[in-house]
Amino acid sequence: MESEGTESPLSGLVPVAEVFNSIRERTIAENSMVVLLQGLQGEVTTVDLRNESTARGRVVNVDAFMNIRLEDVLYRDRRGKLTRLQDLFITGRNVRYVHIPDHMDIMKTIQSQLAKIHRVRNFASHGGGRKEYSKKK
Amino acid sequence: MKSRVFTDLATPVSVKPHDADSKPMADEVEQQPSTNTVEEPLDLIRLSLDERIYVKMRNDRELRGRLHAYDQHLNMILGDVEETVTTVEIDEETYEELYKSTKRNIPMLFVRGDGVVLVAPPLRVG
Repeated sequence: MESEGTESPLSGLVPVAEVFNSIRERTIAENSMVVLLQGLQGEVTTVDLRNESTARGRVVNVDAFMNIRLEDVLYRDRRGKLTRLQDLFITGRNVRYVHIPDHMDIMKTIQSQLAKIHRVRNFASHGGGRKEYSKKK
Repeated sequence: MKSRVFTDLATPVSVKPHDADSKPMADEVEQQPSTNTVEEPLDLIRLSLDERIYVKMRNDRELRGRLHAYDQHLNMILGDVEETVTTVEIDEETYEELYKSTKRNIPMLFVRGDGVVLVAPPLRVG
């Protein structure tokens, strides 16, 4: 999987896909606050779920629909019972809260996430694109 | 419908390249073609940026915190937030309703918009 993760704070980890697979996802993410959650990749956070349970672990990936993948998770169910999980996938609909770590600079994170999206978007048009036909009429 | 992210944090950000000419304001930045008029209900929330607000959520939850950012889904970033969960216990014998509330404090919280019921200035208990 290709990675744009040179800005990832934990560069010793296996690089994860930080690119979107579709233009649709990219546009959805760019126009909402999900970009902040995507900037959380690599951080350890707590996610409160809709079913009153909580999951604390390292964020592997967040997509435009707020689906979150966590690793090395401590999962506390609504009764308080703790379970350790290697890998947890949370559907976006089931998220109630995401705790943001204190040390995070929110503005910088959002800015760098948006910059990544624009870099990818402009990648295809760099150099004018395909030259089979003239774009100038 | 215009899609945008609203934030009060001080550095200018452009969501789309053609927004580069929008001017940052004193302590509030808008990431859309700048308009000061209140046009739609979301604009009223924009007036509360960096203010303390009261958010009523589903499942008998309430949040009081400082609104840092929000978007069109009402996903919000709240700082210094106090969450109140209210439960009703019914006494088996007397059938009396006992309202209990549990509070907790969280320094910085991202709230998913689909749980939000309403947003208001903090209630003044009179």
